[in-house]
Amino acid sequence: MSTDVEELLHEGMERFTTGVHAPAGLAATAGRLRRRRRTTRAVMACGTAAATAAAVVVALAATGGTAAPAGGSTAQAHTVAYVVSRVKNALATENLVYHGITTGTDGPSATWAYGQRWRWEEFTGAGCRNVTSTGECTHRGGSVRYLATGTAQVGGKLTGAYVTYYNREYSLSPITAPLPTSACSRTARLEMGGPVATPGDHWSDFINATLACGAARVTGHVWINGTATIQITGKPITVRLPPGEARAVREKWTRVGWTLYVDPATYLPVRITGTGTTFGGPAASTFGSMVTNVQWLKPTAANKAKALVRIPPGFHRVSSAANQ
Amino acid sequence: MANDQAVAELESFLAERADQLMRTAVLLTGSREAGQDLLQTGLERLLRHWPGLTGDPEAYLRRTLYNLAADGYRRRSRLQRKLLLLRAGTPPPADTLACVDLRDALVRLLVQLPPRQRAVLVLRYWEQLTEAETAAVLGWPEGTVKSAASRGLRRLRGLADSWHQAELHETGLRGPGR
Repeated sequence: MSTDVEELLHEGMERFTTGVHAPAGLAATAGRLRRRRRTTRAVMACGTAAATAAAVVVALAATGGTAAPAGGSTAQAHTVAYVVSRVKNALATENLVYHGITTGTDGPSATWAYGQRWRWEEFTGAGCRNVTSTGECTHRGGSVRYLATGTAQVGGKLTGAYVTYYNREYSLSPITAPLPTSACSRTARLEMGGPVATPGDHWSDFINATLACGAARVTGHVWINGTATIQITGKPITVRLPPGEARAVREKWTRVGWTLYVDPATYLPVRITGTGTTFGGPAASTFGSMVTNVQWLKPTAANKAKALVRIPPGFHRVSSAANQ
Repeated sequence: MANDQAVAELESFLAERADQLMRTAVLLTGSREAGQDLLQTGLERLLRHWPGLTGDPEAYLRRTLYNLAADGYRRRSRLQRKLLLLRAGTPPPADTLACVDLRDALVRLLVQLPPRQRAVLVLRYWEQLTEAETAAVLGWPEGTVKSAASRGLRRLRGLADSWHQAELHETGLRGPGR
C-alpha cells in the first residue's frame, strides 16, 4: 500500500502541475524589486524628508502611478510627501512598546512588540471558533487562551516560540521576521487582510515601501480619539484560494483589504482594520473582519517583558510548530 | 548597472529552468498565485547573492524555495486557520470522494499538510531525493526529515484507505468479513 501511495502521489503531482509555466519577465521583476528596495533603503539612510518624499513620488510614477487617483496626481503627490515627511520623526520615536488588541469575526487576540521581541496571543471566541489542522474544535464556548507565538528568552538568548494551550505543547525555532518588509507581494497583502497584522519594529520602513510599490495609497484623514489620523488604504486584492483552503470553506476566491490609521505626529499606526470575503463556491459567501486598536507604551522593564512569550511550566516540547 | 548584468544572466538561466522551478513552487504552496510569489521571492534572494555566488544557482534557488516554504508556516497558518474556522464543523459534500481521482485527492491533501511535511514530501516524491539528500537541502537532521515524511505519508495513506473503502462500497463489494 505504501508504495502505491507514493507512486500515486508522484503521478498526482505531475498532473497537478501539468501546464504550469513560469510567467515571462520573472528576472526583470526581481531586478526591479531589488533596485526599488535598495533605493528606498538608501533614501531612508539619508534621512531627509524631502529626498524621501521625492523618492516615493518617483517610485509611484515608476509603478505606473497606481497610487494616484484620476485627475488628482498633484494632490496625491503632495499627500504622499506630507506622510513621508513624518518618517524622520517616526525613526526617532520608535523606541516604544507596541500593544494591539484585535477584535473581529475571529476570536480576540493581543499583540506586544518591542524591537526584535514580539508576542501574539489568540483567544477563542464563542462556539467552535478555533480548529486544529484537521478541522476539529479545540474549544467550545468561552474565551480561553488558544495559542501564543513570538519570541522567548531561552538560556539568555532570544528565540522563536510557539505555544498551543489546548494541547499543552510548545516548540522553539530560530527567530523569523514577524512582518513582511512591505505589503508589495500578494502574500503580504493577504496577511494584512487576515485576522492579525503582527507588527514589526519598523513601521515607517513598512509604510514607505508599501506606498512606493503602489500596494497602498493615502486616502485621507480620519479622526480617532481626537487625532486627525492619516488613512492609508491597501489596494484590495482578489486571489484564487489554494485548493486545500478552497475545499475547507467550499469557496474559490477571497478578496481582502486593509487600512492603516497613522498618527501624523509619530507616523505610528493607532488603528489597523482588515477585511476578507470568500466567494465563488457552492457555499454562501463569507465575510470576516478585524479591528486592531494600538497603544504605544513606554519601554519600561515590565512593558518590555510583555513582548516575550512565556512557556508555561509542565508544557511538553515538540520538535516544530508544524507538529503542533 | 551590475544589477542589469545580473538580471540578464538570470534571464538566460531561467529560460531553461523556469517552468520546472515554477512547478516545484506550485507544489510547495498549493496554487499558481502563491507559487509565483514564492518563486519571485526566491529569485530576488538569488539576485542579491548572484555576484558572489559560487556553485550551481539552481541548487541555491531550490534550497531557498524549500526553506522559504517550510518557514512560512506561521504566516500561512493564520490565513488557513481563519478560513478553516469559517466553515468549522461543516461536513464535506457527499460526492467529494466520488468525483475526483485519488491522485488528485492526494495532492489536495498534500497542500493541506503543514509546510514542513509538505516540503519533505515534495523533495522525496517529486524531486525523488533520498532522505539524506532531503536533509541536506533543508539543513535539517535526517531524523527530522524521516519523522516529517512519516507523518505526512500517514495522513495520505489514511485518505487512500478511505478512498478504497468508498470504492468497494460503491461497487457493492464487501471485504472478506462479509
